[in-house]
Amino acid sequence: MRRGMVIDLEKCIGCRSCAVACKQHNAQPAGNWWNRVVTPGSDQHQTAPEKGREYFLPIHCQHCQNAPCEKVCPVGATFRADDGTILVDYERCIGCRYCMAACPYGVRQFNWEDPEQAMSRYHYQDGYAFGNPREYRYQGRLVYAPVRTKGIVEKCHFCVHYLDQGLDPACVRGCPGKARTVGDLDDPDSVVSRLIRDKNGFQLLPEKGTRPNVYYLPPKRKEA
Amino acid sequence: MSTTKKIAYLVTAALMVAGFAAWGYQLKEGLVLTHMRNSYSWGLYVSTLAFFVGNAAGGLVLSSLIYLFGVKKLKPFAKIGALCAFANVTAAMFAILPDIGKPFRIHNMILHPQLLSPLVWDVAVLNLYALISLVYLYLLMLPELTGPFARIAIRVKDPEAFSETWARRLAPFSLVAAVGIHVVTAWVFSTQGSRDWWFSPALAPDFVAVALASGTALVMLAAVLVYGIRDLYRDAYRTLAVFISVAFFIHLFLMYNDMFIHLWYGAEEARETLAITLRQYLPAHLFEVLAPLAAVVALLSARVRESAAAVAASCVLLISGVLVHRFLIMPAAFDRVPLTIAPLGLQNVTWSVPIASGRYTETGDTFVTAWHYFPSAIEITIVLGVVAYMCFLVMVAIDRLPITERST
Repeated sequence: MRRGMVIDLEKCIGCRSCAVACKQHNAQPAGNWWNRVVTPGSDQHQTAPEKGREYFLPIHCQHCQNAPCEKVCPVGATFRADDGTILVDYERCIGCRYCMAACPYGVRQFNWEDPEQAMSRYHYQDGYAFGNPREYRYQGRLVYAPVRTKGIVEKCHFCVHYLDQGLDPACVRGCPGKARTVGDLDDPDSVVSRLIRDKNGFQLLPEKGTRPNVYYLPPKRKEA
Repeated sequence: MSTTKKIAYLVTAALMVAGFAAWGYQLKEGLVLTHMRNSYSWGLYVSTLAFFVGNAAGGLVLSSLIYLFGVKKLKPFAKIGALCAFANVTAAMFAILPDIGKPFRIHNMILHPQLLSPLVWDVAVLNLYALISLVYLYLLMLPELTGPFARIAIRVKDPEAFSETWARRLAPFSLVAAVGIHVVTAWVFSTQGSRDWWFSPALAPDFVAVALASGTALVMLAAVLVYGIRDLYRDAYRTLAVFISVAFFIHLFLMYNDMFIHLWYGAEEARETLAITLRQYLPAHLFEVLAPLAAVVALLSARVRESAAAVAASCVLLISGVLVHRFLIMPAAFDRVPLTIAPLGLQNVTWSVPIASGRYTETGDTFVTAWHYFPSAIEITIVLGVVAYMCFLVMVAIDRLPITERST
């Protein structure tokens, strides 16, 4: 079993629902985004770089098979789950940020200050808090907590805290365009494997040799 | 105690206290007090680590020149070399501590070391080198550990001969450990394929070359401050000056050779990366090259070497150039986003995918591509504190321990 994701850029409407769902479900502190959607070539999101040349690209952890972040971590806080997902142990991380230097995708987020303090500067209504309130441990290691401490690195974990309940990641469930599919990349008959085969699935930065478990399907046409 | 010395002690002590206080404040508030961002995640602290590691090379140069290559005239400087090595390699480790987000979890490096990580190798080899330089310094001092120091001296029949024999036996190990700290520190960067600026086989040899230049310059600086210019040491100073120059020219060759092949081929990612160092940071680049160049030209002149002040100034100039060189490890690595893609359907366009800054401000951009990093006052204060620690330790040791030659 190698858990992977396919994102169909033909179906992505650039609404950023996945980024918001991700941020909400995973209680990301102010300023940190595990998931982002960009409009390649443009100066502003959702403005075309050039007439007839607009498409959207969602980016989060690529869960690489040759993951530089996993290899550089001096304490093994970044580790690989049995299904190939790259997780971060919030209790082990020493905050050296070597993984952030190592990652070519810019998806790793550091808690530069106390997340609660950062949230207070947002001026939400009193008592408002978002995010799944329950901690989650994978093989005894803390890989999700509603409140992280300052000084550690965090990132997309393919919503490992919903896996036991048989639920897909929040970004998949929250996508109105149904652009995202998760499945087993080791199984040639899985939906994800077939999509990659039939629709010319490609990876980001293949030249870096990271072998991501996230694939993209190219858009057939661009928004006019 | 002379007034100059008193002022030196006072200033370094004050800077250490300030640095420590700044670190305490940073521990409380978090690394938000630095000017680093998610897109620019390593800054002055890591640059300073590389700087001090390089400065620690002096001990090796002296011990191997004396005991492996038989350059006996350098022997009066051997203890200064070992002392500078110890002071700088420990300073390197102090410089990296404030960069750690969770310093109180640092024991995880021992409990759960992940052996593929170059950072684990670096911590191991830095500690080993600190230990070797300390043992080495002790061995060299042994014959003179008399009077009040007698109780820390191990009892051997002939301390002179014991010291000489064991210093010679230790020299090859210290050579390996010393080359090791530069190579492994370089590997921390040069193994990272995500950063084109670092991902080069030239980086490790270049780190060794830079270290041999700055480490030796530091020993020469300490020696000239302690001994001044004397007939007895004229030849030794000349040897050090030649050694520094050769090391620096090898560094220039390695650095520009690397840049040259990339510029010639002209791939866009390489040109954009090099433009950061050569265009955006041109004044800094000019300083990192021209300041040490001026220093070695000066040091090679016999007339300049007649003046202790001129020698000291040249060494300081060279070391400052190396500090700027170490600072420049970061901009070209972090100011170009590795995830730079060619948008589908566009001709001859590359586009950098913005990264969440990690900082919430009401007016600042949430997603950024370039960040013109300059260290914050907190970062500078902490680093000055570490520099002060290094100077303070060297001064105290020279004052209190039998480091310098008594015969003169």
